[in-house]
Amino acid sequence: MSVDASDLLAKSAPGRSSWTAALISWEGLLLAVLIAIIAVNANLSDAYLTVTNQINLFQLSIEKIIVALIMTLIIINGEIDLSVASMMGLAACAFGWLFQAGFPTVAAIPVVLLVGAAGGYLNAFFITRMGLPSLVVTLATLIGFRGLARVLVEDRGITDFPAWFDNLGQQGLVGPLPLAMIIFVVLLAFFIVVLHFSGFGRQVFVIGNNKDVAAYSGVDVARVKAILFTASGLISALAGLLYAARVGAVRGDVALGFELDIITIVLLGGISIFGGRGSLYGALLSILIVLNLRNGMALVNVTGHIQTGVVGILLIVSVLAPNMRESLGAAWSNWRGRRGSR
Amino acid sequence: MSDAILELLGISKFFAMTAALSDVSIALRPGEIHGIVGENGAGKSTLIKIMTGVHQPTSGQIRIDDVPVQLKGTRDAQERGIAAIYQEPMVFPDLDVAENIFISHNKLGEVVRWREMYAEADRLIARLGVSLEVDRAASGLTLAGQQTVEIARALALDVKVLIMDEPTASLSAHEVDQLLRIARALKAEGVAVVYISHRLEEVVEIADRVTVLRDGQHVSTRDIGDVTTERMIAEMVGRDAGEFFAREKSHATDKVALSIEGLTVDGAFADVTFDVHAGEVVCLAGLVGARRTDVALSIFGVVPAESGTIAINGKAVAITNPKQAMELGIAYVSEDRRKLGLAMPMSIVANTTLATLEQFLSRSGLVNRRRERDVAESFRRRLNIRTPNVNTSVGTLSGGNQQKVMLSKWLNAEPSIMIFDEPTRGIDVGAKAEVHEIIHELAASGVAVLVISSDLPEVLSLADRIIVMREGRQMGIYDGAEATQENVMQLATGQELTAEPA
Repeated sequence: MSVDASDLLAKSAPGRSSWTAALISWEGLLLAVLIAIIAVNANLSDAYLTVTNQINLFQLSIEKIIVALIMTLIIINGEIDLSVASMMGLAACAFGWLFQAGFPTVAAIPVVLLVGAAGGYLNAFFITRMGLPSLVVTLATLIGFRGLARVLVEDRGITDFPAWFDNLGQQGLVGPLPLAMIIFVVLLAFFIVVLHFSGFGRQVFVIGNNKDVAAYSGVDVARVKAILFTASGLISALAGLLYAARVGAVRGDVALGFELDIITIVLLGGISIFGGRGSLYGALLSILIVLNLRNGMALVNVTGHIQTGVVGILLIVSVLAPNMRESLGAAWSNWRGRRGSR
Repeated sequence: MSDAILELLGISKFFAMTAALSDVSIALRPGEIHGIVGENGAGKSTLIKIMTGVHQPTSGQIRIDDVPVQLKGTRDAQERGIAAIYQEPMVFPDLDVAENIFISHNKLGEVVRWREMYAEADRLIARLGVSLEVDRAASGLTLAGQQTVEIARALALDVKVLIMDEPTASLSAHEVDQLLRIARALKAEGVAVVYISHRLEEVVEIADRVTVLRDGQHVSTRDIGDVTTERMIAEMVGRDAGEFFAREKSHATDKVALSIEGLTVDGAFADVTFDVHAGEVVCLAGLVGARRTDVALSIFGVVPAESGTIAINGKAVAITNPKQAMELGIAYVSEDRRKLGLAMPMSIVANTTLATLEQFLSRSGLVNRRRERDVAESFRRRLNIRTPNVNTSVGTLSGGNQQKVMLSKWLNAEPSIMIFDEPTRGIDVGAKAEVHEIIHELAASGVAVLVISSDLPEVLSLADRIIVMREGRQMGIYDGAEATQENVMQLATGQELTAEPA
């Protein structure tokens, strides 16, 4: 037929703001929510705005928010990696196992990071070479990596790591700032540049929007995905090591279920689960909201389960809000279009 | 009063401002086979969609047994006895034939009475005069078998009007015979069969009456005795002289830029052979299903050819992906902007530089946004893209302006061979003339241009040479200045030639 749906779109929605404008407004909303939470928290407790509490607030979830950064890129790319928490567990357990086997601690760290990258590449292999959906592939490796972690360490904890290793996780490295927080800040800056300013980042967005358009424009789709999943494995392994250092012990169930918290944070940041839309700025705001909300509730002795419930409600609202706006907008332009054609 | 079972009176259908159908009236009589023919875009699909309740007409009336009705949807149309089968049948592979036939049936009651169902299915298949085991799974059925299931399904619902949309496009000769037999069996039962096909000889063989549509308008409805294929073709293509674009002089050089020999992709096309010279505009003409896009995709490396050779500037190359094709100087402007051409939610800038991002990267891999913006801005001016600014997302632009953004994307790659796939489909006349201007400019600058177009006046005005394809085969090559709509259409529809092509 000689009629293109795009003509309809353009004509029925003359005044609708562009996607970027919508995104900015979403991030604006997140910022407002964050400021409100900080204001309420500061009123609730004098302890809230102390340096110790602010660092502690990050430290409690530092591994999750590090992984949330790469997860943001993967979801914008139109994929998902469910295996991140299992990889954190596997990395921690592999480290514990090597340590127990008498492997030098300093040498174990790069080995574990290599395991992470290899695991991530394994995901990428099945996704790009076999053409399987990432949801299925990483669900399988979620089980597989976790199984391997339990085989290595079983349910007994491994402790007694060298003091310098524990200290890296527990004490300030630069002033009061611990290593993990420095890593988070560095990775955040790095990924903002990669995603929002580099050619690679542009390709991540285009593939997330429409991977056929990308392929037909000469973008090497498989390569971009392979890099992202390999990076995801590597960073998850790093996060697993940081967890081991912070807690000073590893067990087979390290980081169990963390993937859901991580994905929650990313989606709350306005990153579309269908790919192609979102930003690291939104993800950062979402991280700050979740951490400050939980911290505030903890300061007034709200239990962890209720905290989780509140974050869940927040996620539902955040997923519904843009959808409701879109369907309202569609109904509006539909009504106007019909009126116009009569 | 009329003897019609289904009557369309003065039906018009607008999509936005484009008329897909204007003032079309057709009456279907019980027990007739009514052929509908027309070029691509003549309005056949829209007509079917209105008859089956998918679209509501913008104006006009639908009458069933002389009573005005509104078809609220396919279900509603089905309940009133109107059903359609398509080139790609809809069967559920894991159910057996009988279950498929009665899939939307509720006459058999809440609990399925299996024996009754199989017996009834057997009777329906027998009424169609074919043999098909009703308890076998649908998954192994041929396309023809699947169509039989769909027809039986319609029959089970007491169909009064059955629309067949290009039912034979993918069938073998033997299967075509069987389908025509089924159509006659339905006719004998008093069903009105609407038969839509590009294969004019089939239409002549089977139809009682033929309606010709052109550009959304009803041209004629005649008894089959008054129709010849030549006359149908003339009516399908006939246009006012004013709609033709003037031919420009050829810029073709002696240098062969793209040479294709014996190119074959199994199941799509076979043994396609032609050259495109630098500065030349070659058009691939044909109807839907001619597999012209498959040839282009093969050259662009999306579906590499199984046999045959592609040579660029005299050097044989093996192209296995689009990136490689682009490195060899080939650009492919897809017919499907939405799925293959543009990242709709992204900005004009991002889409303009999509295929050439490397040009805009610093040594550390960062995008030089300012240069990107300047280039997009210069294309906006050069191609007259109407938009508030270049940061607007392309999804909000009109079809013609989207098409220009897609052209910008490929022009910026400065290809030496450029393939356009339906470059002016669905865009307005002004934008169309601008696209033609761009094609002329490219040719003048020495680019080898290959245009796939179903728009015959466009083909005749643009092409230095015309290659006509039909169902994956190359039917002939015409010199652009000598070809007429009639002889291109004759080749495209598989008619015997009255004169040898040049």
